[in-house]
Amino acid sequence: MTDDSHRFTSMYDECRQRVWAYVVSRAGRQVADEVVSETFAIAWRRLDDVPSPALPWLLGVARNVLRDTIRAEARRDALAAELRSWTEGDVADEVAERMGVLRALASLPDDDREILVLVAWQGLSPRDAARVVGCSATAFRVRLHRARKRLKQAMQAAEPGQERHGQERHGQEPRGGEPQGQESRPRVRNLSEEWS
Amino acid sequence: MNPIDELRAARPAHLGDTPVDERTRAAELAYAMARPRERRRRAVARPVWGLGLAGAAAALTAAAVVVVNGTGGGGAPPTSAAAPPASSAPHKVRLPARAILLAAAEKAADQPEATAAYWHTVSVSRSVYTVEDGGYQVVDRQRSEMWTPRAIGGEQWGRDQNLGAVPATDEDRAAWERAGSPSRLTVQVPGKKLEPMTLSTSPGKPSTRHTPLVDGDKVFWLGRNVTMKDLRELPSDPDRLKAWLLRSYGGHSTESDEPMSSDTWLFQVSVGLISDMPVTPEVRGAAFRMLAALDGVDVTEDVTDAEGRSGTAVALKEPFRVNGGAVLRSRLIFDAATGRALATETVVVEPGGLQADLRPGAVWNSTTVLESGWTDTRG
Repeated sequence: MTDDSHRFTSMYDECRQRVWAYVVSRAGRQVADEVVSETFAIAWRRLDDVPSPALPWLLGVARNVLRDTIRAEARRDALAAELRSWTEGDVADEVAERMGVLRALASLPDDDREILVLVAWQGLSPRDAARVVGCSATAFRVRLHRARKRLKQAMQAAEPGQERHGQERHGQEPRGGEPQGQESRPRVRNLSEEWS
Repeated sequence: MNPIDELRAARPAHLGDTPVDERTRAAELAYAMARPRERRRRAVARPVWGLGLAGAAAALTAAAVVVVNGTGGGGAPPTSAAAPPASSAPHKVRLPARAILLAAAEKAADQPEATAAYWHTVSVSRSVYTVEDGGYQVVDRQRSEMWTPRAIGGEQWGRDQNLGAVPATDEDRAAWERAGSPSRLTVQVPGKKLEPMTLSTSPGKPSTRHTPLVDGDKVFWLGRNVTMKDLRELPSDPDRLKAWLLRSYGGHSTESDEPMSSDTWLFQVSVGLISDMPVTPEVRGAAFRMLAALDGVDVTEDVTDAEGRSGTAVALKEPFRVNGGAVLRSRLIFDAATGRALATETVVVEPGGLQADLRPGAVWNSTTVLESGWTDTRG
């Protein structure tokens, strides 16, 4: 492997899941892989520009990719499904509190949620997080302060006992192909056949 | 506890630091690194095949072999389950292969196209079988015709006809005649289905079928199921086309879960695209350019397809192993004058498994394309 591809692969291994988690928290799992692969494709192309540590830079790129490639409406729908999935399922007592926090997070405005996730889950310093969302460090601190206050209020308001949401099922793409050789002709199978 | 700490503790498990699965990793790395790097300083040396055909031909006289390293134009996607990461040692690439493919790309992109209500293809598929008592081999032939609607919501129509089995070679014909020229042949079907199959030497009746499009709009399989719109809007830039296709690469074969390198996978999928899918001429040209940029592409001129037509074959040097142990290589035979596909073939490199009875170099199966184009009438 060349130095470049070695460096790129290490960066990928170090940051990929963090970038993925960020995109999931912004737009849900459905689009996350697509945005992540595009982000790393850009990182490879612009490897000379990638600073160290790379994570804040990568998150900033992912943020732009998300904005440029995923329609706002689709993002909202996918994110709503994602947020529901965080807070569904059997709630044992010990996790009820965690669920409450996540519900509170889900109820916040998009911008607040992004700021909180960057700091709490991605472990970014306010300065790095400010770079990701494209504002000054000072402005970021103010926004973080407000977001934290709103999270606290939402946590106090959200007590356990909310309705449970049904499980989201995402369609699997039908996939054809009997293992009978290199069938070059296109194959399309009905979903029902695939799963019967 | 401060709300940030509580939030940190409440992070859903799947958003934690679990490692990425190996297939996704291989696919994403390949996807990213398939693209050329943007250098801060502009690269000084251009690869020879970037000069265009005249330049390439001129360069040919100067040096028959060029040395390409993995990060050049096109690049070698590393890491996959099947192939170890590409070494940093330069690959030697014979220039003529690229020049031939680039010429085909230009011809393909220049073909006229007028779309109509249906994309229509006629093809004949052939597979080799070993006759149970006698040990000789026969080729079973299936003609299939397909009409795929340009508009969504319609149905895909097909007409299939068995053309009958014929002895594979002159030697096989002699063996068949010695056996009394039987019209019904019991053949072995190795693999999961152990029951023998009976083939007939005479053609069957054509049967017509029609089915609604899968999901209402999916018409072909191109690494994944795609709509007519997807196909018509494929990127006509080779790098972007490659990136588009590689998004569906999962580290394994197009036919099974067997590991397969991204280049092999890409080759298989693009051969399908070139051979009979309703893509624009520019995209077909881009697919040839994409093949030209792959490492280890082999081009053989003056080969004959199963219909007896002469053409040029392109294959990957690196063969692939399939379930059961055979090592195979697939190749595309095209008409160099038009960039149109004539046939796709699977050639045995090392016999084994389903192809245990075949000799190295034998064509195990093939699909010849007799017609492909747009039509308003469904025959």
